[in-house]
Amino acid sequence: MNNNKELIKFSFTTLLVFILAMGAGYTIKEGEQVVITLFGKPVRMVKEAGLHWKWPFVETVRIIDLRMLNWDGYPNQIPTRDKKYITVDTTARWKIIDPLKFIQTVQSQQGAQSRLDAILDATTRDVISSHNLVEAVRNSNAIFDVVSKRAEMKEAEEGQATLEEEVVGDIEKVEIGRENLSKIILDRASKELMPIGIELIDVQIRRIMYEASVQKKVYSRMISERERIAEKIRSIGRGEQAKIEGKTSREVQEIQSLAYRTSQKIKGDAEAKSIAIYARVLNQDPAFYEFTRKLEAYRTSIGPDTRIIMGSGSKFFDVMTNGK
Amino acid sequence: MNNKEYQFGWRSWLPKDWNSNMQDKVAYWMISGVLGLVAIFTSFYTVEPDEQAVILRFGRYASTEESGLHFKIPFWVDSAIKVKTKLILQQEFGFRSLSSEGQRTAYSTQSFDEESLMVTGDLNVADVEWTVQFQISDPQKYLFRAKNPIATLRDISHAVTRRVVGDRLVTDVLTVGRAEISSEATQLLQETMDKYDIGIRIVAVKLQDVNPPEPVKPSFNEVNSAKQEQEQLINQAEKIYNQVIPEAKGTAAKMISEAEGYATSVENRAKGDSEKLDAIIKEYRKAPEVTRRRLYIEAMQDVLGKVQNLTVVDEDLKGVLPVYDSGKGNVVPVDSSAVKK
Repeated sequence: MNNNKELIKFSFTTLLVFILAMGAGYTIKEGEQVVITLFGKPVRMVKEAGLHWKWPFVETVRIIDLRMLNWDGYPNQIPTRDKKYITVDTTARWKIIDPLKFIQTVQSQQGAQSRLDAILDATTRDVISSHNLVEAVRNSNAIFDVVSKRAEMKEAEEGQATLEEEVVGDIEKVEIGRENLSKIILDRASKELMPIGIELIDVQIRRIMYEASVQKKVYSRMISERERIAEKIRSIGRGEQAKIEGKTSREVQEIQSLAYRTSQKIKGDAEAKSIAIYARVLNQDPAFYEFTRKLEAYRTSIGPDTRIIMGSGSKFFDVMTNGK
Repeated sequence: MNNKEYQFGWRSWLPKDWNSNMQDKVAYWMISGVLGLVAIFTSFYTVEPDEQAVILRFGRYASTEESGLHFKIPFWVDSAIKVKTKLILQQEFGFRSLSSEGQRTAYSTQSFDEESLMVTGDLNVADVEWTVQFQISDPQKYLFRAKNPIATLRDISHAVTRRVVGDRLVTDVLTVGRAEISSEATQLLQETMDKYDIGIRIVAVKLQDVNPPEPVKPSFNEVNSAKQEQEQLINQAEKIYNQVIPEAKGTAAKMISEAEGYATSVENRAKGDSEKLDAIIKEYRKAPEVTRRRLYIEAMQDVLGKVQNLTVVDEDLKGVLPVYDSGKGNVVPVDSSAVKK
């Protein structure tokens, strides 16, 4: 009986101690911070991870995230200043730096989420719609270097076949740039988030895309550009072909005429030489040459069918008639 | 009587003939046995070769352990979180591989245009797919500095890749700019991760398929085929050039050679003729009168000997001559002076 009572007493004490210990001790995990409230009133904050003590039952622990948190915006359709309709998808990273303010103003992460939605969406909309599209697309004017380099290259190979495609699309100068737009959004939103104990670490424009209807137009523009380029390339090809054909014909003419000229010159020289040779020889006795040449001419020009009527007094027949 | 209170407790499982002392003993051993087992099973853990383990004591960071068998304080005082730090992890953008079992990786056929379509610097659109390979370089930071480090990595990778592509021409993105985009994106991504200090090391950003958007593809292909056509036309023309020019050169050379041959022949003929004449004249001068006559007579013999129709007219018969045969044959007007003589 005695034994039994003691056992009951012992178990009660153990249970009590255990319950008290459960109520008084709490652990904070790495990446967490807590706010201790006494009957709902915040009394202190603890940021150190580990095992901690509090008054059991009367004090309550509220766990607040100490880590970097993500905010993922819903893609927004926003017209830019140059009236281009785009979908902008932003993300942000944030942190609870003042847990007390945080639980007083937004209660929980869900509460903070909707506050962030409201503030960041509005700021993003303001900033994007007050700038041209290029400011959100490009970060710098580095693209102009590329374009001018292209132009130089094209100039350098003037007269040759331009196989490279030309640069198309409208390229505007960027004054602010993508990074700086994010920074503007960050600065403006940060100011509004300060009072609720949130530090905005950064805002990133995750995605910018044309709205479906605009996208179609952009596509058809791209298609027409490509077609234009393709046509130009083909036409350059035809031009090159014609050039080569022309060159071929010119060279052929050159070669042929030069050969003709050279050969005529050679022939002429030779004939001149032969004339000189003949003249030199014939000058020794022109009359004799004429005589012999004529005789030779008779031989060759008079054929068997030739009818000849001759006088009997000719030199050839004089013996025949005179008998002398 | 004593035992009555325990009739309904756990002791009722024990044999009835055991006395209470023995029952207490068994109870003691059973409790300590269960506690002991729990203690044993919560006091060690193994870390695989590709992992590191972060040890928390009452939730507070205590140490990071390498692979192997390790002991910790039991009863959930210490807890171990294992992180694959040695493994190179990969995130895919614009596509998803389903499995890499077997020879070939299977890819999801679903389209992730939302992820991959991006606006280029000349306000065109390109479809860029890429992967990010990374390692968890600091498990402690990785676990406790950001709530969702992978989502952070994905978000930043999106932003960074679009920023890099946004500073380039669509033609560069599609062709020559790939390597540059990769290295610039890797660098920017690492810089941002370092800024966050969440224990992620970027190994590489690799561009996968980079294409024009689907509806625009045919026109890009058309440009490519136009390039081919251009080359083909040029090649054709070059071919004709190569066919024609050497032939023309050959013909020209032939023409010149012929002319040279002709020249040589004309010259030689002239020389021959002149040498012949030289010789003849030399002899002729010795007896010009006789030679002349002989030559004349010989010639006349040859000429008139061939002629089939020769008419010799007596000069005394005036008024008869000459009679022309209009039928055939050549009529040679006879030297009238010769006739008159």
